[in-house]
Amino acid sequence: MDFPGSLRPTVFMTGPLGLSDVPDMSFMCSWRDALTLPESLPQNSENGVPHVAKGLLWEPETPGPLPLLPPGPDPWHPGLTAQDLLFRGGHPFQKQPRVVLDVTEQLSRFLWDHGDIAFAPLGKLMLENFKLEGGRSRSKKKTVVSVKRLLQDLDGHQPWGCPWAYLSYRQRRFSILGGPILGKSVANLLGDLLHEELVMRWEQLLLDDAFTGGALAWVPGKTPRVGQLVYPAGSTLDKLYFQEVSLTPGGNPQVLRDPGHIQLRGPVRQVVTRTVQGESLLAVRSDYHCALWKVSRQGRPAPLQVLQVEKGATGISLSPHLPGELAVCSRSGAICLWTPQDGLRRVYKDPDTLVFRDPSPWRWADFTAHPRVLTVGDRTGVKIVDTQGPPGCGLLLFRGGAEASCQKGERVLLTQYLGEGSPESLHSTLHLICTQFSLYLVDERLPLVPMLKWNHGLPSAPLLARLLPPPGPGCPRPLLLGGQDGQLQLLHITEEASTPRLAGPPQSLPSRNDSLSAFPVLEPKSQWRLQERLKAPTIGLAAAIPPSTSTPILSLFQLSAAGDVFHQCLRLQADPGPDSCAPTVSWSPQATACCSQWLKALLEVPPAPPVWAAPTFSHRRLLGCVEQREVEGKVPEGLRAAMAEGRLLQQRDLGSLPTAEPPPAPEPGPDDELSKRLEAAWEGQAAAWWERRQGRSSGPRQQPKRHKRRTQLSSTFSSLSGRLELSDATSPPPSPDPEARPRPPGTPPSQELAQEHWARGVPLERQQTLRDYMAKLPLREDALEDASAPPSQTSSIRATRSRQRTLQDNTAKPPLQRDTPEGASAPPSQTSSIWATRSRQRTLQDNTAKPPLQRDTPEGAFVPSSQTSSIQATPSRQQTPVLSGSQRIRKKPRMGF
Amino acid sequence: MSDFSEELIKSTTEDDQGERCELSGTGMHFPWLQKHIETVATGGKKEKDFAQTTSACLSFIQEALLKHQWQQAAEYMHSYLQVLEDSDSCKRQAAPEIIWKLGSEILYYHPKSNVEAFNAFADRMKNIGVMNYLKISLQHALYLLHHGMLEDANRNLSQAETWRYGEKSSSQEVLINLIQAYKGLLQYYAWSKKKMELSQLDKDDYAYNTASQNMLDHSWKTSVNLGALIQIPGVWDPFVKSYVEMLEFYGDQDGAREVLTNYAYDEKFPSNPNAHIYLYNFLKREKAPREKLISVLKILYQIVPSHKLMLEFHRLLRKSEKEEHHKLGLEVLFAVLDFAGCTKNITAWKYLAKYLRQTLMGSHLAWVQEEWSSRKNWWPGFHFSYFWAKSDWKEDKALACEKALVAGVLSGKGCRYFRYISKQDHQVFRKKIKRMKKLVKKYSIINPGL
Repeated sequence: MDFPGSLRPTVFMTGPLGLSDVPDMSFMCSWRDALTLPESLPQNSENGVPHVAKGLLWEPETPGPLPLLPPGPDPWHPGLTAQDLLFRGGHPFQKQPRVVLDVTEQLSRFLWDHGDIAFAPLGKLMLENFKLEGGRSRSKKKTVVSVKRLLQDLDGHQPWGCPWAYLSYRQRRFSILGGPILGKSVANLLGDLLHEELVMRWEQLLLDDAFTGGALAWVPGKTPRVGQLVYPAGSTLDKLYFQEVSLTPGGNPQVLRDPGHIQLRGPVRQVVTRTVQGESLLAVRSDYHCALWKVSRQGRPAPLQVLQVEKGATGISLSPHLPGELAVCSRSGAICLWTPQDGLRRVYKDPDTLVFRDPSPWRWADFTAHPRVLTVGDRTGVKIVDTQGPPGCGLLLFRGGAEASCQKGERVLLTQYLGEGSPESLHSTLHLICTQFSLYLVDERLPLVPMLKWNHGLPSAPLLARLLPPPGPGCPRPLLLGGQDGQLQLLHITEEASTPRLAGPPQSLPSRNDSLSAFPVLEPKSQWRLQERLKAPTIGLAAAIPPSTSTPILSLFQLSAAGDVFHQCLRLQADPGPDSCAPTVSWSPQATACCSQWLKALLEVPPAPPVWAAPTFSHRRLLGCVEQREVEGKVPEGLRAAMAEGRLLQQRDLGSLPTAEPPPAPEPGPDDELSKRLEAAWEGQAAAWWERRQGRSSGPRQQPKRHKRRTQLSSTFSSLSGRLELSDATSPPPSPDPEARPRPPGTPPSQELAQEHWARGVPLERQQTLRDYMAKLPLREDALEDASAPPSQTSSIRATRSRQRTLQDNTAKPPLQRDTPEGASAPPSQTSSIWATRSRQRTLQDNTAKPPLQRDTPEGAFVPSSQTSSIQATPSRQQTPVLSGSQRIRKKPRMGF
Repeated sequence: MSDFSEELIKSTTEDDQGERCELSGTGMHFPWLQKHIETVATGGKKEKDFAQTTSACLSFIQEALLKHQWQQAAEYMHSYLQVLEDSDSCKRQAAPEIIWKLGSEILYYHPKSNVEAFNAFADRMKNIGVMNYLKISLQHALYLLHHGMLEDANRNLSQAETWRYGEKSSSQEVLINLIQAYKGLLQYYAWSKKKMELSQLDKDDYAYNTASQNMLDHSWKTSVNLGALIQIPGVWDPFVKSYVEMLEFYGDQDGAREVLTNYAYDEKFPSNPNAHIYLYNFLKREKAPREKLISVLKILYQIVPSHKLMLEFHRLLRKSEKEEHHKLGLEVLFAVLDFAGCTKNITAWKYLAKYLRQTLMGSHLAWVQEEWSSRKNWWPGFHFSYFWAKSDWKEDKALACEKALVAGVLSGKGCRYFRYISKQDHQVFRKKIKRMKKLVKKYSIINPGL
């Protein structure tokens, strides 16, 4: 344990982070570390220009790591992204884009998707009936809403996004009356909590420190070539796998046997292993538990101890000095030492951070060269604590501040003791400290002044680090640094006159993303899935240097959050010639074969099901409706099954029916303009084509436009007053013949009759006559009354009457518009707002001559609508594309909450 | 040097950027934040094409450097220089620093580069902007020093020393002090070379006088150069060492002592073990009283109990007349052996074995028990385990014997380490083991009555 006789000159400043007055020594370059001062005797420096191995390079054997084990059987979902959390609106006046958490969208999504959770409790609280203050003129019936009925109507589903969804008039009234009150209280209650949650999620997205230290470990076995990889897998990472691996002299690992596994009760966050005095120990950290195993020489794990950490464990480390000792850190700021003799003992407790105030509860502890002294770290610094001394006292080893010329906003992300406990190791007093910007090596004998600082520039949080044994005698030791997003860097640490130095420039190693080129090209969806999988965060890093006869080999294993273990083999290329730059390697056939095999297995894994999807329409009623009818055949059956499960109707549900027909040839339709135009352009006759087209289509093209504009206008007016439309009576397009209308695919034919209940009871031969008659009708009320009120009509006379009144408003489409009251209020009511309904109410009131009818008319007009099912609404909407369509554009579907 | 005003407003723009990065409320900065924001495609001004190409170029250079593709990095660097004409003053401003950092790295490692190319680059870079002159000069000088070109380095430092810009800021001052100190160090190298020559000359020679005169001149200049820097808190080992050597040579013992005392005991300085070691070595050369030496090493003992000087400290304490020093001597030995790096230090074990016997013979059982009480629950596992007994016996039998004696004395005959070693049969060590058994029987603290 020699202390360097002469340390590198450094200015020592005390103060906070980012102190501008400090001459920035981090401005110094990585080569500065390679520089040495000639020692006192000048001739010494003349003949001995210190030899630095300039080109120490680990050359990868493949352009990227390869999958070592087949993918697990559980689907994996990448989780939240910034897109889910951040506001996407523009800020035109800001120079820099600003991050704003999108609470409103999340809140509205919650209200849409989980309306039952958001509103039902409130409704239950309000008991059966409640009164909302309305205008005095309104009677009790309009202002009192029964929640019980309302909930029955809702039937547990939110009619969202689907125009056919069912919405009762009661619901709409409730939403108008209660909207301002309910909306506010729900938003107030939820807003704060949601914001808190989003902040937490966003912070987690920026830095997820759960896997600090890494969850992959290499447990050496009986011979140096055989070892075990210990890692968690499964969709929740709660199975701890023990996979025996043998390293061939060529460096390629071979998986021996099937892995054994231990089922745990929580996700594994960290796996640590140490071999102390010939005993291999394995410590595992979960969120609230830590466990210790002893691994026998045969590779069998035997449990030693399980600890429960109530506040949540943030770090665990095994002693390199004494077998079985471990230090556990908790979120509460306590550090405990567990020893086989004394059991659990709290050695440090401080809920506050060391140097300055930082809200992160992350704590870390590791051992030092003295078996009874620990380092205690948090985001602001690292302290050395004597476990035998008085509690609480200690010496700062690293301080986030001017002492190490830290930048503003710099925080400690990882600390690690680099010693191994064996006296041969030169680094037995060195500690590695990583921040998001830099890497520091600190000697515990010279606290606060880093021996080495290097700006790693990793684009993600460096939460993994491994110092490896020297690959050969006299070689510098490789230090692996892994970022959360998979970036890997390798530094060479050497010791000259007991001072740690960087030997040669650091090197970046291929990440899993670089392996994409080894996989065959896929269709976009699968390709996307593969990319996501390869991009999964790296949560574990392990390496082994098998004894080798010729060039040293480094076997590198990575574990991804999806539970995949990848492997890469690197070969040391010491001192390449002056002209040789890194040679480019390519994929070997074996590598691509391995990748395709892995990919095949991956694509067999079903994709992760969505967490929750809003049902787009209330299908329960529909289901009953369908079941009533005796329909045969596979198609309706498949439909029913799909509806019952609330999933998408797929081709296979419909059976082999469509496959019997030959697939339609890609024949360009008569109106396939694009291909014609492309064809013309290809032949160099684009201009001629355009001319032709201009000449041909000028007439018909303008017509629909005018027609559209007009119908828009007409529908606008239709909601305002009825009489005006009379003049427009002849303009609407001829309504499609009901018989010729294309049938919706799943609708049983028997339903068609129900859609046209106006025609029920009218003898078939008369229906057509009637239709023809009405089409040419010079409108008169009494004539309509006759036609629209067939004797067998189920609804009351009053309702029918009121309907005819409404018809006066909509005479634009005389024959088929007969069921407009239903059509306009029930299905398009989805889209149509309350204004339309109200205005119609008013119109009805205006138009009704007889006072006794007045009170009942609105109800009468809407009752049938609640009887008609939503399927019924489908054709009616098709029939009246003009009216509902234009209204849909103007008003967004809202319940009014 | 056309952009003074821009550099003065630099600080404000930096603050602005800082504010932008900080958003989670924790005050932490995330270098990867921008990446997340870009995926959301929030509004705001788009980067200009120019900025896009330069930043892409920068990332290419960094990538090439990390892959050791120096040739490629140099090619990209050639294109990157356009950033000096960026219309964004903030970027244009930060550019020289980045160019210097990356450019010097490429030139340092590029297989075809040479010192001339590096010199040309450094000279060019010094004069782009004003803020970097001193830093680049210093690094340039260090580069030359590393390559053994002391004269060039000296010339460089002299030029930088006289350079001034605007009002002297404190960071500038520190840098100028550093530059002067390195210059002083160079002068020291020249001086020690002369000293070597002088030592080879005859004292009566004529040349001797001129040479010694020369050395005097040097010394004066050097003391000016070095003196200023070592007042500033920091780690200045090479400077202090050479300064003290020169002072000593000219008989200024008080000056040297003052410098060293200040360096070791000034509270503004980091606790540097070397400062105490230098002071101790100086006092030893000065033949200071033992009491004084002990007091210096006592502080070193508190900072670095594992230092190799601790064995010397133990010898001093052992020789001392005071009883408390004898007790401290035992403590020091135990403390040295606490450390993982010292477990195989045979001298320390030998000392401990000997001193334990001596202490117990002097009927200071309480001292031993005091030291042992805090270690008895972990030393057996740490030092005296079966594993170590086996491996020590295999690797170093002498060490194993010393350790076994200590183990036997401290934890009795039942100790596994002691048992294992005492069972060994080896013709060279047979006598030793026998003696060890006897001693353990006599002195073991576990059953002192027997």
